[in-house]
Amino acid sequence: MILDNILLLVYRNVVAAIDKIFLIWQVAFPLVYIFVAGYSYSALIGHQGVKLGALSITYTSFLTAGMIGFNVMNGSTVAGNIIWNDKRNGMFQQLLVMPFSKVQYIIGNLITIILIGLANAALIIVIGLPILAKDVNITLWSIPYTICALVVGSIFFGSFSIILSTRIRSSEGYNVISNGLFLFFAFLSSAFYPAEGLPAPLSAAFYINPLTYIVDISRAGIFSQINRLINIELIIISFLAIAVFFIATRSMIQMKV
Amino acid sequence: MLSKYQNENCIAVYNLRKQYSKDNTYAVDGITFDVKYGTVFGFLGPNGAGKTTTLKILTTLLTPSSGSICIFGKDLVKNQSEIKKQMGVVSQNPSFEANLTVERALDLYGMLWGLRDKKMRKHKVNEILNVFDLESIRNVKNDDLSIGQRRRVQVAREFMHEMDLLFLDEPTVGLDPSARRLLLDYIKLHVKSGLTVFFTTHIMEEAEYLCDEIAIIHKGKIIAFDTPTGLKQKYGRGAKTIELTFKDMLDDSFINLLNTTISKKNIKDDGSNIQNSPVDVKGTHTIRARVNNTEEIISEILQLVYKNGLQIESIDINPPSLEEVFLSVVSTGMN
Repeated sequence: MILDNILLLVYRNVVAAIDKIFLIWQVAFPLVYIFVAGYSYSALIGHQGVKLGALSITYTSFLTAGMIGFNVMNGSTVAGNIIWNDKRNGMFQQLLVMPFSKVQYIIGNLITIILIGLANAALIIVIGLPILAKDVNITLWSIPYTICALVVGSIFFGSFSIILSTRIRSSEGYNVISNGLFLFFAFLSSAFYPAEGLPAPLSAAFYINPLTYIVDISRAGIFSQINRLINIELIIISFLAIAVFFIATRSMIQMKV
Repeated sequence: MLSKYQNENCIAVYNLRKQYSKDNTYAVDGITFDVKYGTVFGFLGPNGAGKTTTLKILTTLLTPSSGSICIFGKDLVKNQSEIKKQMGVVSQNPSFEANLTVERALDLYGMLWGLRDKKMRKHKVNEILNVFDLESIRNVKNDDLSIGQRRRVQVAREFMHEMDLLFLDEPTVGLDPSARRLLLDYIKLHVKSGLTVFFTTHIMEEAEYLCDEIAIIHKGKIIAFDTPTGLKQKYGRGAKTIELTFKDMLDDSFINLLNTTISKKNIKDDGSNIQNSPVDVKGTHTIRARVNNTEEIISEILQLVYKNGLQIESIDINPPSLEEVFLSVVSTGMN
């Protein structure tokens, strides 16, 4: 029954609550980065490539894999947007007087963004395959790391969006703060450039940013570069995701209807 | 402690309280009432009286500070999810799926309520579209509807699923008279087949038309509870409204005379006058007054009319309306 309810809420999110144009933009946005920024920066970097574990890969490959993790964060704003739209259109209250609970609602939202994240990642991999083809090395052992990074990343950033949407009282305020924070997360992460070789304070900033962990793990899965650091990053981000999920659930339960 | 009649009643509320802050003020202050199965229970009160808080508690959106609520003989706090499956709620605030057409939104709503069979859902959607006169807007997106149309869809949507108890919070706000009547009659039809309705409204004619029992809440407390007729008898205290239409145009001096005459005779139980100027002038030929000494006052008026050489076209004597009773009950805060 509980699972039934959650699946119904996921179905409802997909059918009614998500803006289809936003979904298209979700895929188009990283592709713009890959094909415009990727090739432009590659011209600056030259042919030396980027070091990733034992490998040396092209910057476009590095960025394409980074965009998969980055897109998880970007897509997680959907969770907050669903809550805002449901509050604005009265559907949040209506769903709660139906046989759905707040916890089911929050889990439904998170599963929705996990599905969006996985579908987007698959699309980016397919579209970016000509770029990745030279360096990609997906194995049965490594791919679960990428999938795990996407799921854990969706839970972390989705819960984070939910906390923001329950605490901030205006939708404009929510948009400004979430966009500002996510921009900060994006550019202080290893999504666009490697953390190695950066000045120490900047490198430290990279490693207090959860997006760095998500990007590192998903990238390691795509290029089969699993090592001890990746496993530690996976453990840390998993604990963080669980903690943020509980805070989000608590915020949602305390939210006035 | 639960009401001793909890098993005979669809809703049994006992000593319910809700406190939002710790300043000793209660939005709902120890209310107790029962709602019988298969009846329409009207819950009336001025703005800020505690209606919405009570409704939010009964529909599980708020938890009570104290007291007990039994719905279908089960404790609401302990059996929320089970009870919610048998309930429908039309909130005062609009709620809609902005991106969906009316037809698709109804279909999705049915699906969310567990109506899994696509054919059955389609059949139900068509029935609802037909009953609520929504055929012409079936392919229009909810976002593009007028406020009234959106409201109609919101109310109609609730009948997509089977339920035993329906909460209606001012459901006719924004509806045109024909849609309003259509809805009230449709509710009556369902009540006949066993549906119990908890109904709040500010439109007293609706309450009178639909409700079997009415509770009036004021400042968090229930100050009157009876059938519509019982309320009128209990709180109207024999007061009636008389309306006289004259063949001649009325002048100020005659109206002053009427005011003085009616005031003298219109005495409350404690000996004070009901109103200093009881006469309400409608147009140039008609007056209206609320009186509690009808026969004597009519006789006095007739003498005045004769003395002033006027002619009466018609006299109407009516019992007080529910609206008058409501205003009287709320203004005096009587218990």
